[in-house]
Amino acid sequence: MYKIKIRNLIGAVLVGQTALFGAQAFAETKTEVTISHYFTGELGLGGLKEIFSEFEKESGLTVKDSPIGHEDYKAGILVRAAGHNLPDVISYWAGARTQFIIDSKSLRPIDGMWAKNNLDNVIAKSVADGATLYDGKRYLVPFGYHYAGMFYNTSVLESVGVTSTPKTWEEFLTLCATLKSNGIDPIALGSKNRWPAQFWFDYLLLRTAGADYRADLMNGTAAYDDPEVVKAMSMWKDLYDAGYFVENSNANTWTDASDKVMRGDAAMTLMGTWITGYWNGQGMKPGEDYEFFPFPTIDASIPDAVVGPIDGLVISADAENVEGAEELLNFMVSNTEAQAKWANIQGALSANVNVDQSNYTSVMQHALATINAADTFAFNYDLSTPPPVAEVGLSMFAEFMDDPSKMDAILERVAGDAASAFKN
Amino acid sequence: MEKENRFWQIVFLSLPMAVFVILIIWPLTSSFYYSFTNWNGFNSDYQYVGFDNFIKILTDKLFYQAAINTSIWMVAAIFLPSLFGLVLALLIDSSVPGGSIFKSIFYLPICLSAVVVGQTWVWIYQPDWGLMNTVIGFIAQEKFNYAWLAKPDTALGSVILAWSWQQTGLSMVIYLAGLTSISEDLIEVCEIEGASTWQRIRLVIFPLLTPATVVVIALSVINSLKGFDILYIMTGGGPFNSSDTLAMHMYNESFKKYLMGYGSAISVVLFLIALTIIRIYFKQLKKVDEIYG
Repeated sequence: MYKIKIRNLIGAVLVGQTALFGAQAFAETKTEVTISHYFTGELGLGGLKEIFSEFEKESGLTVKDSPIGHEDYKAGILVRAAGHNLPDVISYWAGARTQFIIDSKSLRPIDGMWAKNNLDNVIAKSVADGATLYDGKRYLVPFGYHYAGMFYNTSVLESVGVTSTPKTWEEFLTLCATLKSNGIDPIALGSKNRWPAQFWFDYLLLRTAGADYRADLMNGTAAYDDPEVVKAMSMWKDLYDAGYFVENSNANTWTDASDKVMRGDAAMTLMGTWITGYWNGQGMKPGEDYEFFPFPTIDASIPDAVVGPIDGLVISADAENVEGAEELLNFMVSNTEAQAKWANIQGALSANVNVDQSNYTSVMQHALATINAADTFAFNYDLSTPPPVAEVGLSMFAEFMDDPSKMDAILERVAGDAASAFKN
Repeated sequence: MEKENRFWQIVFLSLPMAVFVILIIWPLTSSFYYSFTNWNGFNSDYQYVGFDNFIKILTDKLFYQAAINTSIWMVAAIFLPSLFGLVLALLIDSSVPGGSIFKSIFYLPICLSAVVVGQTWVWIYQPDWGLMNTVIGFIAQEKFNYAWLAKPDTALGSVILAWSWQQTGLSMVIYLAGLTSISEDLIEVCEIEGASTWQRIRLVIFPLLTPATVVVIALSVINSLKGFDILYIMTGGGPFNSSDTLAMHMYNESFKKYLMGYGSAISVVLFLIALTIIRIYFKQLKKVDEIYG
């Protein structure tokens, strides 16, 4: 009898504890907003925590964040979506990736919150339309956006007597030849994680075939063995064959490539504006130690286009604290101090039109002016085409960088692989 | 009283059973089910596609590449640590000075997680400043910056070397335990009879180490089948799928290309392969048991 009592007692305690835990969890859901994001760099993570802290003071809510490394995030967040296990808010890349997750009914529209907070007057229209509207509904608030340009070490270019940056392809080739003849690797590329190579493909295609053709390729109505793609890839191959890229691109990450430029081992790298956050953190001075120039014009008859990603925040369809999540989204985009702080830390441009441009460094102001002067702002490759196709394309870039002489065979195979990825 | 105990036995057994069913049986049967669908992993509107996924496997070049890599991985991951472990055990057992210190040093890597080992070897293989190229450059007296993990010809082999480095300590310790059970009198008799060192090892020591070898191979088989993490850390199956194993290929198809149905079909094939290997192994184990008791 005694034994049974002990067991019953243990059972009762367990049941009681479970009930208590459940009750506590239920009570906490209304005062806590959960968020998962991919800003795991030292500066980004620290800055974001400060911004969350400000939000907590203002709203009285608690933010529980779970940062996950960029590459693991891509697969991990979708696994959680499949299991209906997303936090209230997630950071996500605007474009095809967001469309993909919306198609799986994992996100919640935010039209009500958008109208209530009058975000039409907060978010730049050029950014808002392309990044936030999906299937006619608002789903995403842009938290910051970037531009990909040719970032260079100013002292390296000065050391070879270059005083003006190239505007045309011919001038660019001359610059590369000059650097090479002076024993400096002209271009650093860190394609170990594949995505940094995409900007080369994006710009070469945009500059030779135009934005409309690229859009066709991204949505599957054009093919990877088309003459347009072959031409763009051939120009990339010419640069490789001339020895303008540093050796072992596939062994380096984007920060490795950035370090090579910072140290002066290489002159320039085609990268997004987040490189400014990285370099600033390393003690480089914007405008003095580094600058950028837009990707050169190849065919003057083709309208100018720029590429870059938009980092956004979205609300999970299964969010437990929808009101808190909406409040957080609004704060993150509407609060000009938070936006300015984030722009400086991350090397991002704010999507909030009310953010004072004097908050930007001279390089970021230059980037903003370049975007404003362009005819088209396009999402970079892996945000423009559906993720399964992007997976095929990103591997293609890495394979190409390993041995460009196989270009024709690679394109022929990828044309088939991409076509079947579009069907799935 | 006995009836009551029976009740509580069932209650307490139900917990591990529930865990087993939820974490093993349910995912296993789910994989079988999804392997006959075109589910992308997220949408609920998927269709039954019969054997399409399994037919696709037959024409999937990356699958064959992954199958070849898996075979290379398993053979090398079993053979190399066992061989290195045996050699080290024989050296340490031969009363080499500082043997116990070397034993600890060689065993140390097995205490580290695969993530730590993988990242350490990523640095060793780093083309510009990694230890490997620095040593080769020093010997060759010229700059050497080969990208071991970024070249398709050497990526898999480089990971296998790192894996062998970690696993050798475990084999060594098991062989050392086996060596202590060999009678010193027997070795002495061999010496008196004029057997050379190689003959003693080949004809006496190695056969008597068979039970230890069985344990070493058993652990190597199990560990090599689990060997996903170090490959994921060091190459991620790259560059461009050249070091993909079947487990990595399954992961990529399921979670990067969002072909969960097809990924499930690969997992079913992988399950059947593992089942076959385990059956063969147990049959051999039974034979060894019959001989050595």
